[in-house]
Order: sequence, then C-alpha cells, then structure tokens
Amino acid sequence: MKRTVPLLITATVGFVLIISRFIPATVGWGEVASVWFDILAAIAFILGGSNLLKLQLKKISDRTAGWGYAVVTLAAFLVTLTVGLLKIGSPPAPDQEFFGETFAHLELADFPETQVASVDGTIPEKADGAELPLSVRRQIREQNGRVLFRGWMLRSQMRDLLDFEDTLRWQCTVERLFEQAQPPEELAPNVSYYADHDALGYKGFMSDEDRDRLLELGRENAAWQHAVDEIYETSRRTTRMPVEQLPANFQIAASLEPVLEYDAEHKELVLRGPMSVAQRNDLARQFPAAKPIGGEDRAAFLRELESLGEPLNEEQRAAFDRAIESVWTPEQLVLALNGAGAAKEEDKTACEMLEEMQAGVRNIDPQKTVGEDVQLNPRQEELVEQFARDAEFTPDELIEQMREAGTFNDAQAAELRRFLNQGSTVGEQNRTLDRELLKHGPLTPAQRDFLLQDIRSQLAWRATVAELFFAAHLVKYKWSGEYRAEGSPFWWMYEYLFKPLTATMFALLAFYVASAAFRAFRAKNVEAILLLGTAFIILLGRTFAGVWLTAWIPDELAGLRIENLTTYIMQIFTTAGNRAIMIGIALGIASTSLKVLLGVDRSYLGSREG
Amino acid sequence: MYHFFTTLDRRWIFLLMALAVAVPILAQAQFPEIPTQLAQDTFDEIERLEEGDRVLMAFDFDPASEGELGPMATAFVRHAAEKKLKMYFLALWPVGPQMIDEAINKVIRADFPQLVYGEDYVNLGFKPGQEGVIKVIITDFRGLYTTDDRGTNVDLIPMMRGVANVQAMDLIVNVSAGYPGTKEWVQYAVTPYPDKVRMVAGVTGVQAPLFYPYIPEQLPGMLGAIKGAAEYEALVVEKYDLQLGREPDPKYLDGRRRMGPQLVAHLLMVCLIFAGNVVFFMQRSREARS
Repeated sequence: MKRTVPLLITATVGFVLIISRFIPATVGWGEVASVWFDILAAIAFILGGSNLLKLQLKKISDRTAGWGYAVVTLAAFLVTLTVGLLKIGSPPAPDQEFFGETFAHLELADFPETQVASVDGTIPEKADGAELPLSVRRQIREQNGRVLFRGWMLRSQMRDLLDFEDTLRWQCTVERLFEQAQPPEELAPNVSYYADHDALGYKGFMSDEDRDRLLELGRENAAWQHAVDEIYETSRRTTRMPVEQLPANFQIAASLEPVLEYDAEHKELVLRGPMSVAQRNDLARQFPAAKPIGGEDRAAFLRELESLGEPLNEEQRAAFDRAIESVWTPEQLVLALNGAGAAKEEDKTACEMLEEMQAGVRNIDPQKTVGEDVQLNPRQEELVEQFARDAEFTPDELIEQMREAGTFNDAQAAELRRFLNQGSTVGEQNRTLDRELLKHGPLTPAQRDFLLQDIRSQLAWRATVAELFFAAHLVKYKWSGEYRAEGSPFWWMYEYLFKPLTATMFALLAFYVASAAFRAFRAKNVEAILLLGTAFIILLGRTFAGVWLTAWIPDELAGLRIENLTTYIMQIFTTAGNRAIMIGIALGIASTSLKVLLGVDRSYLGSREG
Repeated sequence: MYHFFTTLDRRWIFLLMALAVAVPILAQAQFPEIPTQLAQDTFDEIERLEEGDRVLMAFDFDPASEGELGPMATAFVRHAAEKKLKMYFLALWPVGPQMIDEAINKVIRADFPQLVYGEDYVNLGFKPGQEGVIKVIITDFRGLYTTDDRGTNVDLIPMMRGVANVQAMDLIVNVSAGYPGTKEWVQYAVTPYPDKVRMVAGVTGVQAPLFYPYIPEQLPGMLGAIKGAAEYEALVVEKYDLQLGREPDPKYLDGRRRMGPQLVAHLLMVCLIFAGNVVFFMQRSREARS
C-alpha cells in the first residue's frame, strides 16, 4: 500500500498530462494536475529547508570537519528566513494602506438595521449559473420582490454589480440601490463600511457631532457603539513634528485648518488625527509656481546671476533663454480654462435610459450634455496676462478677480489650480536652469547657491511634511510591504552579501578555466587537435579580435573570416551534434517515462527492484 | 624557458587573468560591435510589434549570471519601452524578482516615468514549480497568478484584462541562466502552440550552443552571452539614440563595455593554451630523445 498509492498517483497524473496534450477537452485536467505539481513544488521548499537544518545541525553536533561552515550556513539561513518571513523593517505597501482613514473592527452582522437599504426589483438568475460578485455576495439579498443591501455600498461594489448583467432594468436597480445604500448625508464624506475587511472606516479627525450622529444610527447595538467609540479615540490622536524653518509665506490650507496648527513656542507642527494624501499635498504646496519671465524681469534675473560670478557664455545664455521659456504661457492657461468651462458630455444613467425607453423613445442617445459653455471674456483674459506677469499675484486672488470680472465656475477654478500644480515651482525651474547652464559652462558656487536655494528649502519642507504624514498614519496592514523593499534588512543582505558572494563564486570560474587551459588543453591526438582548433576559432570569433585579425581576407573568401567561421561552426556542427544528442535523450526519456508510468521502474520510490 | 613553464605556479596565471580583466575595465577599453544575423533577428522580432502589443518578460537568472545577462535584460526592457509595448514580468527563479526590480528601476523608472504600473507594465513575481508553471499559464494564467508581486488581485490590474493565458502574448522574451529557462519555455510554451506563441531569448555563453537546434522555428532570435548583448545593444542604440541624434546613456552600452575584458581574457586564454602545448611538445621530444 505504501508503494501502491504513490505509484497510482504518478501513473494517473502522467497519463492525464499525456491525454490532455492530445485531447483538447481534457486540457483542464492537465491544468489541475500541473497546479497540484506547483503546490507540491512550493512545499518542497519547506522540505528542502528542513533537510538543510537537519544536515547542518548534525554536522555541528558531530563536530565533523568544517562544522564551522555549517554554523555560518545555518545562521545565514535562519536570519534570512526570519527577516524575510516576518518582513522585518519593510514598510507597509503604500497602495494597500488607507491614508487619512481610521478603522475599527465591525462584523457585517453588527451593522445597524437602520442602515439596510432596499429597492423594488429582483436579482437576475444567470443562465450559466454565475453567482453574484464576491465583493457583494454577503451583503445583498432578495426578499418579497425587493433587493436588500446591508452596509454602505462602495463605488467599486456598484461597478461589480453593474457588470453582473447588462440589462437596463438591473442596472437601474443597482443605481437606485447604490443611492439608497449610503451613509446619512452629513456623514457621507467621511464614513465608509468595508464589508470584505469587516471594518468601519472614518476619514480624518472625528468631531463630537459626527460621533453622536454615528452612535444614533445604532443606539441598542453594543458592537456598533464600541466600534464608533474606538474610532473616535484613535482618530483624535495628536502628532507633533519639529520644524527647523517654516517656508516663507507659510499658510495652512483650508483642508487642514481645523486639524493643524503651528506651535511657535516649541517650533512644532501639531496635527490632530490622520492626514490624507490630498491634505499632505496641500501642506507640501507652500512654494510659488513658476511663471513666465520676460522683458526687464528676465534681464534683471540674469544680471543678478552674473553679478555673483563670471558672465554666462553664449551657449549658457541660449540655454538660459530656453529654460526660462519652457514654462507655461498665458495663452496655454486661457486655453485650459476655456476647455474646463466647456459643457461636458456625460453618460446617461441606466434609470434615465430606461425611463426614455418606457416613454417610447426609439433611438436613445447614451450621452447627455451637462452644464453650459463658460468661456473667458476679454477682461478675464487680461487678468490671466496680468497674473502671468506679476510674481506677487496669487492663484486665490486670480480666482476672486475672475469671478468679479465674469462667470468663472468651480471646474475652471479647479483647472487653474491643477494647471499651476502640474507645472514647476520657482525652485524646480531654477534647479533645471542650474543643470542646463552647467552643461554648457562653469558656474561659481555663489551662482549655484543662488539658483538652488529655493529647491533646497522646498525639498527640506517636503521631507518634513512626509515625516508628519507617516507619523500621523495608523498602519492597517503592517505586513503588506515587500520583504525586499529597498532599505529593509532583507534588501541589505541581498544587496551586500548574497549578490557579491554569488557573483564572486561565478567569477572564480575564469581563473580556474585559465589554469586548466594552460595545464590540460593539450593536442595529444587528432580529436584533441580538432577540439583545440575549434576552441581557438570560437575564442577569437566571440570578440573583436577575430574580426580584426581576418579583416584582410577579401570579400570573395569572407566565409574564412573568423567571425563567419564561428557562426558556421555553431550553426552546422554544434546544431547537428546537439540534435543527435537531443533525439537520443528524448528517446531515453520516453522509454524511462513509460517504465515509470507503468510501474516497471520504481527506483524513484526508493525501491531496489529498479 | 622550458623549466620556467613546467614549474610555473598557477597563481601567476591567476594574476594574469586578474590583470586581463581589470586593465580593460579601468582603461574603459571599448571595441566596435558588428551585429550578427541572430542579434538582428532578435531585434526584428521586437521591432515588428505594434504599440500596445503584449510582451511576456521572463527573467530566469540570478546575480551570479547578472554580469553576463544583465545588459541584455536592460536592452530588452528599453527596446520594449521605446516601442510602447505592454510588459508582463515574471520569474521562475527565486531571485528573479530582484532582477526584474533592477531592470524596472534602471530603465522604466529612470527613463520612462510616463509608463504606469498596471497599465504599461506589471510585475507578476516568482512562482515555484519550474516548468510546471509554464505548463499551467500557457492555458490558464489565473490558475497560478491570482495576484501580482505586490499582492494586487490580477483582475484589478487594467493590463491583465483579456489576458487569459500566455497565448495572449505577442512575444515571449526570456533571459535565462539555466534550469528552468529557455529550454523549458521552448518545450512547454512555444512547441505546443507554434502558431500562437513566438519567443526570443538571451542566454549565457555555456547554454547558447544547446539552443541552436531550436533556431529559427521555435526560437526566431537568440542572444548568446555578453557578445549577443553587445550586438543587440548596438542595434537598439543605433535606432533609438544615434538615428535621433542623441548621445546614448552609458548604461545602455554595458554589454559593449564588458566586451573589453572579454577580448583580453580570450586572448590570454589563447596564449595560455598555446604556451601549454609548446611545453607539452617540448616535453614529448625530450622524452623521445631520452
């Protein structure tokens, strides 16, 4: 029995793999067999590790020759395994963290009954028996002609449900259910429920009002009350970050005003609650965007730069002009703002299309126009020109004056900020200038300091903001990072131990081959002479030496050039020899495999019967 | 002289080899490369692809062979990025992911920052199982790869949509240092689906002769060792730098740079074999005389 079972498994898997190669309908069987093989291969790593432990421990225990090396091997194995498995020192994966959000465990069953949404409709039954998407399966059900959803529906869940069936009726049901299955309006921007994580989430710092509103949703529900209280506590954590120097014109953005303050006495930024990515970007953005410099301003800037050292040479001046002119122009900004103000084409909702269909509309247009065209008037265009020229004119002032000068909607205001944010800051532009000028000539240290002073402050500030951002963050999945993340102990061991050691081992071959070539590669007989000749041709043919040595051979006899002889040997003699060997091996494998599958050869089971 | 050679301490040979490698490196000796037909075929296989075509980049090597295979891996990634191909990286060797990271950091993040992870390239990481992995993913990718290397569900990765198996790839590019590697990809991916799967490979010098029988049907292009890398680099640099009037970045000429030490080391080997045989024949004639 001990031998029969493995034998049967081997034979069955072997024959399944053979059959699946020839009968397309059985390809799936072959896949299953291969997946099992891969699972076993993964387990073999564990067996291999155990075996290594056993052998090395035995060596150490018996004090056999070289047991010291066994200690090194064992220590290296255990340290690597521990550091890699526990991901020691690896930061969590940023794409799997919820920055700016705090969580508390809450089972779906404990979600308040008051928050169960329901709409008229039925869940479609698929002909192929496909079930509802996994992301919503626990939350959605049908009862008495109504579709019920427990928990607040996420946009990704709505997309999954929309993809489930493409009929307008179902899609409209999903849209209505999505609208229903949302938190109360005043809580909606901050609160979420992640059913697949069994977690209640809250974005930012939780106010007393929001806590009371949340508690009200499940008065009698102890688990709910506990989860809300837990989030309330953790979301109000205070983080302090020392700041060497605040940027000039430091301002706290509107998104951070309620939670961030600067403690001038201790020179610290004080943040209450976690920080979102948008808040981080707002805080980091303290430096003015670069604006086009022209005319007298450009000349003055150049004079100031040259006064700190040598005058720029011709090429540097040309590079200076190119770098300065690479910034945006007022025309581009006007174009972007007019584009943002144009009426948008949007997809109609399924409910709108269903309504049109029921009203008898035949050719339904799936798109609709939203909003009105808002184009800048001449006065607003003039303001943009003025904004571009005046370094002191801020984006907030521009938005205010644009609104006074005519219609200027929120989309245009957002586009203005986006346009400026995606461009360089003054510091970044000067850094580019520094690089470009250095390509064409020297700059004095004073000139470089002048160009780089802004970017240095900007980078220092960004580093401070990043530190505050991570210090305020509560890690959700601390093991989500990569074990080999740059800077982690595993990475360090790989980079500075494993990599040089393996490369060194491989490189040692060159020395041994050289020594062997001198001592053993002798022309003792005809076969050895042939081998020697071939080696000379290949050795020279694989370098430029071969080309150089035989370049004098005329084109009519080009086949005799060493590089061509090399190709000839590889393509004719090597290929022929290899094919013969491969065919022989293939026949051997076929016969051995057959013996294994039929149980004739049992040596792999440890049998001596062979 | 005879006595000198017969009693030569092998440490002198080691020293000569060290100098043969170190001097050209320090002197930054470089020699021109004339691409062979195999390198040209490899280049053409990638060149014929259209923007947005899918390329499976299987990096089956480790730091031991990085010196030989690293430059061609860099050149392959650069060529695919220049062609705006979608790159699917995976590895059958446990340290393959580090090799993938290195190529991504060196080429994509440094010179093609506009390429977006998940839309233009994805790292599917390492899977144990050697050729067993190929056997599964050639018909069912999700049978083994349910997440990428970062743990993201593959169904949430935009460029994985419509990729049911390896047959959906327009080309496989394999950089291989041994088992599992090019031989397994040819046997389990290309050979069963000759009309659907095409492949080129970059391999170590000792492996190259073993793959000539697969050329050109199963393996339309192959780069052998550092010489192959240098030839391929020359083609890529010619098309994407020199023809555009750009100075090539030295990291894209690593293969050519490494050919300098190879040339001197090969010449030393030829000299050593020659000297060894001179000693051998002198020894024989002395023995015959006595």
